[in-house]
Amino acid sequence: MKLVALACAYFICHISYAIFHMPYFICHMPWHMKAQVTDAPRAAPRIYWAGGIETAESLKQAGIEQIATAPNNAGAWRKAGFKVVAVSQAELERREKLLTPRIAGRANVASATRRPWIDANGWRFVRNPTGRFYYDLPRGKAAMALAEAFAYEADAVLKIDPADLTEAGAMIAFIKNLPGAPRPAIADIGVIDDGSPEMGEVMNLLTRRNLLFKIVSAPAPQLRVNIKLGSKEYPKASAANPSEFAQKIRQQLGDENRSLRVYGTEMVICRLTGDGARARLHMLNYSGREADGLRVRLLGAYRKGEANGLGFGRIEMEDFGADETATEFSISKMGIYAVIDLIRSN
Amino acid sequence: MKRRTFVQLLAATPLASTIQDNESKAAPKYKVVTPYKPAAAPGMPGPYPGKVVSVKSAKCLNEDGTKINGEVVREMMERGMREMTGEAKTIDSWRRFFTPEDIVGIKVNAGGRPWVVSSHEIVAETIRNLMAVGVKPQQIYIYERFQNQLDQVNYAPRVPEGVNIFAAERANARNNNQSYDPQVYVEADFFGEDDTRSNMIRLASQKLTKIINIPNMKDHGATGATGCLKNIAYGSFSNVARTHHKGVSHTLSFVGALAAVEPLRSKTVLQIMDGLRGVWHAGPFAPTLKYVFFPRTIMFGTDPVAIDRLLLDIIDDERKRRGAISIWNRDTKTLDFNSGGNRDKDPNVNIIIREPGHVEYAGNLGLGVHDIKKIEVKEIEI
Repeated sequence: MKLVALACAYFICHISYAIFHMPYFICHMPWHMKAQVTDAPRAAPRIYWAGGIETAESLKQAGIEQIATAPNNAGAWRKAGFKVVAVSQAELERREKLLTPRIAGRANVASATRRPWIDANGWRFVRNPTGRFYYDLPRGKAAMALAEAFAYEADAVLKIDPADLTEAGAMIAFIKNLPGAPRPAIADIGVIDDGSPEMGEVMNLLTRRNLLFKIVSAPAPQLRVNIKLGSKEYPKASAANPSEFAQKIRQQLGDENRSLRVYGTEMVICRLTGDGARARLHMLNYSGREADGLRVRLLGAYRKGEANGLGFGRIEMEDFGADETATEFSISKMGIYAVIDLIRSN
Repeated sequence: MKRRTFVQLLAATPLASTIQDNESKAAPKYKVVTPYKPAAAPGMPGPYPGKVVSVKSAKCLNEDGTKINGEVVREMMERGMREMTGEAKTIDSWRRFFTPEDIVGIKVNAGGRPWVVSSHEIVAETIRNLMAVGVKPQQIYIYERFQNQLDQVNYAPRVPEGVNIFAAERANARNNNQSYDPQVYVEADFFGEDDTRSNMIRLASQKLTKIINIPNMKDHGATGATGCLKNIAYGSFSNVARTHHKGVSHTLSFVGALAAVEPLRSKTVLQIMDGLRGVWHAGPFAPTLKYVFFPRTIMFGTDPVAIDRLLLDIIDDERKRRGAISIWNRDTKTLDFNSGGNRDKDPNVNIIIREPGHVEYAGNLGLGVHDIKKIEVKEIEI
């Protein structure tokens, strides 16, 4: 009993210390990592399973232990040993429906280059961090959607094709085994969101180009660029071509000042999180095939942490180099999702 | 990469040049990053700046141009190399460039398959001479960017066992980058593309000690003509197709900028232009004989600019002879950038405003002699 009490006291002390010192850590982050404290971590994505209890064995075989299901089925699934969230059809419909994450056959639409169009949802999660989301996915897309929702810590429910159970289970296991806790998002750009579709499309294309942004209520001085549509600098008409608009923002920020650059692909979208001591890079590969030889550049000096890729286990950060300005490394091969952890050097 | 190496890379950055394209208002700026310093005497322009040996033989092809005579090609190669170096023996002319210790890359061109590629006969003869010098087959690498193109040309049955055949990527799909060197690149933003780096093939930067460039005589929709410079530059770097888009091309400056990057510039010591066959329109491709012509020529030199300067005239003269618009034509009325199909049908349609000035630009970077009056051409007919 004494031991338990001691352990509790020790734990409380450390939590208090961390909470007490958090402003210190944030104040002493490098400039580009400041003002990135966004939403707290939220629920992990969950598969919505409409199958009857007779399908429990297939879920167990896939390693899936938590599901969302209709309220009238919830009891039976709980009895079968699953962790269950009851989600009614009405609630599903209230949730914001997401696109299937994939390359869409819309080459050159709203694009100044040959960059293929990608249906990705990251910007929606950043725009609405407390939102509730819902995917209705065709076959072959469950794992990608799970990764996308997890990377952005989104409260998402995924209706998947039963044929995807194994892949979904593998992704869930991958996510579960990732070390460490979520950290705040790192951003270079502040977006004052007017809620308009135009602003949404701008956010979509910023995400598409790995231009890291966060929602702010007023211009944040610690961010190099702050966007407010309708302002003198960003009249509403300027967002008529969102691709050009995103390019303008990119130029204003300057590639050298970007917290993140990815070379060797235009089909991997990333989310970068960090707290001044550590950084985590979520890499989502929408291309539908393996990507190899990607080069990553992060602003700031880091040491290697752990890197994991779905289907590849531990992955090596190759040709790793860092100076006081930036860190670069290569990922020799990745599938649809890789998570790269780094440790701040100074 | 170890930290020390990276520091070396950063230390090399101040050596990097920033080249300003002086023609276009939207001039790209190039950041060249390489830890390699130039050799005391870089391979380009090499020991024979402004000198080109052009060997022609009517007998190198059969009458309709579809078959190559290997024996005649051998004689053309021997005469050309001897004339260029002034050596009495062929072996000595090769020894001027190569030692048995060298690891030699042969940069072929497989893009114009099947009709206008670095021919098996010239590649095989090159390898035979390298082996005569003492270079082992295992030290020889035929290389190109795309495996699917190399597979179609299929050099393997025609070269000795042990010669390596290497492609950097499976196909022109931009999803294999592992074969490119992350420490050697040129960074530029041409059209707002996200991936702004073009990296050198690791084989060229890290393994090879010498490179032989074997381009073809080809028309090119973006550069006007493609020969030594474009074959070695665009054929040794990643992510280069991004320089042409919607009728505009930055090949004017980028071809030379890439060719000048170390260690490519220092290692590329010999240029052998395969002009047995050529393509006068719709290049660099030649899927049919429709636009193929037959110069029946091989050109030798160490100066890629001088050879390419001659090539511009060869392609343009052939186009004029056929009634096609000049490679120098910049009339936007000729432009149909949405349709490669229309370009393929009609030699008076361009898909891009061509940039034959890339040869002069490369000359201005010190890669060779561009002024036609200063180029010494030795013509040999067999």
